[in-house]
Amino acid sequence: MADKIDEKSILSVLGQVNDPSLKKDIVSLGYVQNLKIDGSRVTFTLALPTPLFPSKEKMREDSERVLSVVPGVTEVEISMKTEIRMEQNARGVSGVKHIIAVGSGKGGVGKSTVAVNLAAVFSEYGAKVGMVDGDIYGPSLPIMMGAKNAELSQNERGIIPIEAHGMKFMSMGLLSKGSAPLIWRGPMAHKAVQESLLRVDWGEIDYLIVDMPPGTGDVHLTLVQTVPVTGAVIVTTPQDVGMTISLKTFRMFEQTKVPVLGMIENMSAYLCPHCGKQDDIFGAGTVATEAQRLRVPYLGSIPLNRKIREYADQGVPLILADPMTAAVYVDIADKLATEIYVRNYNKRTLIIEEEPEETAESFAV
Amino acid sequence: MITAETNPIAIKKKGNRSLEISWEDGHVSLYSFRYLRQNCSCAGCVEEWTGKKVLDKDVIPLDLLGLKAATTGNYALSFSFSDHHDTGIYHFDHLREICPCVICKE
Ligand SMILES: Nc1ncnc2c1ncn2[C@@H]1O[C@H](COP(=O)(O)OP(=O)(O)OP(=O)(O)O)[C@@H](O)[C@H]1O
Ligand SMILES: [Mg+2]
Ligand SMILES: [Zn+2]
Ligand SMILES: [Zn+2]
Repeated sequence: MADKIDEKSILSVLGQVNDPSLKKDIVSLGYVQNLKIDGSRVTFTLALPTPLFPSKEKMREDSERVLSVVPGVTEVEISMKTEIRMEQNARGVSGVKHIIAVGSGKGGVGKSTVAVNLAAVFSEYGAKVGMVDGDIYGPSLPIMMGAKNAELSQNERGIIPIEAHGMKFMSMGLLSKGSAPLIWRGPMAHKAVQESLLRVDWGEIDYLIVDMPPGTGDVHLTLVQTVPVTGAVIVTTPQDVGMTISLKTFRMFEQTKVPVLGMIENMSAYLCPHCGKQDDIFGAGTVATEAQRLRVPYLGSIPLNRKIREYADQGVPLILADPMTAAVYVDIADKLATEIYVRNYNKRTLIIEEEPEETAESFAV
Repeated sequence: MITAETNPIAIKKKGNRSLEISWEDGHVSLYSFRYLRQNCSCAGCVEEWTGKKVLDKDVIPLDLLGLKAATTGNYALSFSFSDHHDTGIYHFDHLREICPCVICKE
C-alpha cells in the first residue's frame, strides 16, 4: 500500500531545509516554486535570490536528502533558477535591481579588471548584468569588454547599451571616439554620469556594476545623488599598508550612506605561471585584517597573474577564457551576491508616509 | 557606518507641519518643518568654509509649511518649503543630531 503524498506534507518536509546565509527555511523564503506531485514523483523549482554558484547546490542536495526519506516518494527532480530580488525603491533606474559601485583609493589597483571579471562571473552563473564606465576620464570598459569599436545608438527609450559576452555596458568613452580625448569638466562630468545611468534603455538588469574612477570625487557624489546604490566594493592592494589610501574611499562611502559590501585584495601574491606556486611578495592577509577592523566583509584576494592581464588586454573575461584561473573570482562573486541578498532581505524600505496633520501639538521651535 | 542611531526605519510626513522619524535604536524624532527650514545647511544658509550660519532663524515665518519631502539617494532627505526654498540636503546623521526632543537637547 503506497503512502499518499500531498503538497502540504512535502512543503512541511522541505521546511527543514535552510538557506545557510539567512538561516531561514526555503519554504517561508518563497524559494520553492512550481511544486508538482505526480504519483510518487516530486518536481519543483528552487528560485534563489542569487546567481547559481556552486555553493548554492547545497540547498538542492539538502532538499533531495530530506525528501528521500519520505515514504511514498520515489523520484525527486529539482531545477534551480536565479530570481534576484529587490526592495522597492522610488528613485531607481528603470529595470535595474541592484547598483554596485566598484571603487578604490588610488588608480591602477585593478578596479576595472575586478569589475569586468566579477560582472562576467555573475552573468555566467545566470544573472542579467550591466556595466557603466564611471571613469569618464580614463574609460576602460570598451577594451576590456572587447568592444572598443562599438558605436552607441539610440531608440525612443534612450541610448542602447553595447552588448558583449552576454552583458550590456555603457561607456561615455564611446562617444568621444576618434576625436581628441574629451576633457570633462565638473558639470559635464556630472551630466555624463547621469546620462550613462538614466538615459540608457537597460531592459532588465539584476546587477549594474559601476566602474568608479579612483579616489573620492564628483562622480561619486553624482552617483549617490542620482540613484540608490545597493553598495560599494573597495579594491585595494597589499602595498596600501594600513589601508591609509583606501580608508578615504571607505569613509566617503560611509558618509554618503552607501554600504560597503566588501573589500577585495588585488595583486596579493605572485602566482608563478610555470609552476603555479604562490609567493606572497607583500605579506598576505593585510587587507583581511583591515576589513575585520572596519567591520566590513572581506571578499577575498586575487593573485598577481599574467593571464589576468593578458585576457583583459584581449577583451575576454577570464571566466570565459580560463575558468580554472577564474575560480577566485567565482568565490568572490558568490560572497558578494550573498552579501547583497542578505542585506536586501534585512533592509526595510525607505518610504515617506503621508499622514494627516495631528491637532494640538506643540513643538520646540 | 550606518548605525542604529542614524538608520531611519519609518518616516512620516504629518500634513504640512511636521515630520516624524523613527530610528532603528527605538528613538522617535518629531520636527516641525519650520525647525527643519531653520536648520537648513545648504550653501545659501550656511557659509561653506567657516560653517557659519548665514540664515537668520527669526526671519522664517511661524506659519512656514513643508510642501514636499523626498529621499535623496538612500542617505538623506530633501524638502520643499512654502518659502520656495528646496536646496538643502538633510543627511540622516544630521537629522538625528538636531533632534529637538528634550532628551536630545540636554
Ligand atoms: N590580479 C592581476 N594580475 C595581473 N595583472 C592585473 C591584475 N589585476 C589587474 N591587472 C592589470 O593591471 C593593470 C591595471 O588594472 P586596471 O586597469 O583594472 O586598474 P584600475 O584600478 O581600473 O586603473 P585606473 O585607476 O586607471 O582605472 C591592467 O593592465 C590589468 O590588466
Ligand atoms: Mg579603471
Ligand atoms: Zn538652505
Ligand atoms: Zn531626540
